Amino acid sequence: MKNEELDLIIENGLKVGPDFHLPVDFALKTSGKVGRSIQWKNDLLEYLSLTGLILALFIASVGMYYYIDKSLALRLLSIISQNPLFFILAFLLLNFILFADKVLLPLLFNKWNRVKIGDSKEYF
Amino acid sequence: MQHYTNVGCQTSCMDDNELIEQILNGNSNAFTFLVNRYQKLVLHISGRLIQRQEELEDVCQEVFLKVYQNLGKYRKECKLSTWIATIAYNTGINHLRKFKKLDISDSDTQEIFLKTVDPDTIGYEQTDLHRYIRELIMLLPVQYRTVITLYHLEEFSYQEIEQITGMPEGTVKNYLFRAKALLKEKLKFVVDANSLKVVKEITNEK
Repeated sequence: MKNEELDLIIENGLKVGPDFHLPVDFALKTSGKVGRSIQWKNDLLEYLSLTGLILALFIASVGMYYYIDKSLALRLLSIISQNPLFFILAFLLLNFILFADKVLLPLLFNKWNRVKIGDSKEYF
Repeated sequence: MQHYTNVGCQTSCMDDNELIEQILNGNSNAFTFLVNRYQKLVLHISGRLIQRQEELEDVCQEVFLKVYQNLGKYRKECKLSTWIATIAYNTGINHLRKFKKLDISDSDTQEIFLKTVDPDTIGYEQTDLHRYIRELIMLLPVQYRTVITLYHLEEFSYQEIEQITGMPEGTVKNYLFRAKALLKEKLKFVVDANSLKVVKEITNEK
């Protein structure tokens, strides 16, 4: 057999793609995943900003009262310092509700939806 | 429905620059179209690097996620396909490193290739040479597989392959030459005069 003929066979063989496949709905699934990833980041950012805003508002109002009515602010702080566990737990509970509402539930809902509709067995 | 058809038509008629602009403006249909346009390229590069069907979908998705996240940084200094291929190559290499599957390309691996692939034990029909070559490529060292895919399958130039892989042009040419020589060495024993006749018929049909 001639060398050039073998070269031709190899050249043609090299133009054959690997035998791997992606699902037919790969593009839709991928853009969905990208969308979810962006949504998740936005949700987390929104939750963190809200938590920060609430804390900032609390600190600002206590600070304001400290100048307007010092005794009221001190009384409020003493109530908090007398029952630290209660206030910490209350803050954590409210924060968790906010976290669940803004981040956890949308994430779980997306995951549940993905399992329901995105389980394609078709390949191209 | 009419609306979606129009959107699909609009995106399919777009060139890469318009498509990027649309994606950056938040058009999710444009991104879906971009994935459709380049998924074969990513599949070929990632497939040849990873060679595992079960991991491929996740890796390809990771590639497109990176494409989306970094699209704003794309400066149009090279073709979009070259840029996406670079991301696919780096993601594939990182995946191999992460799971410690990165093989070394040196004379040892070439020897292993020549010793392990015995045409008699594979049991292919001689007429199915393209499939046989595909299987042989899978056994080549990772750098050889990569340059073969980029040059022959995706038809990138040497300069573009240099950009994608970071290998100097001379190395790319050398790998291509050595990969072909290895394949030739193996095929010499498989292809006889009869099967060559069949192969010629197949190539003429194409």
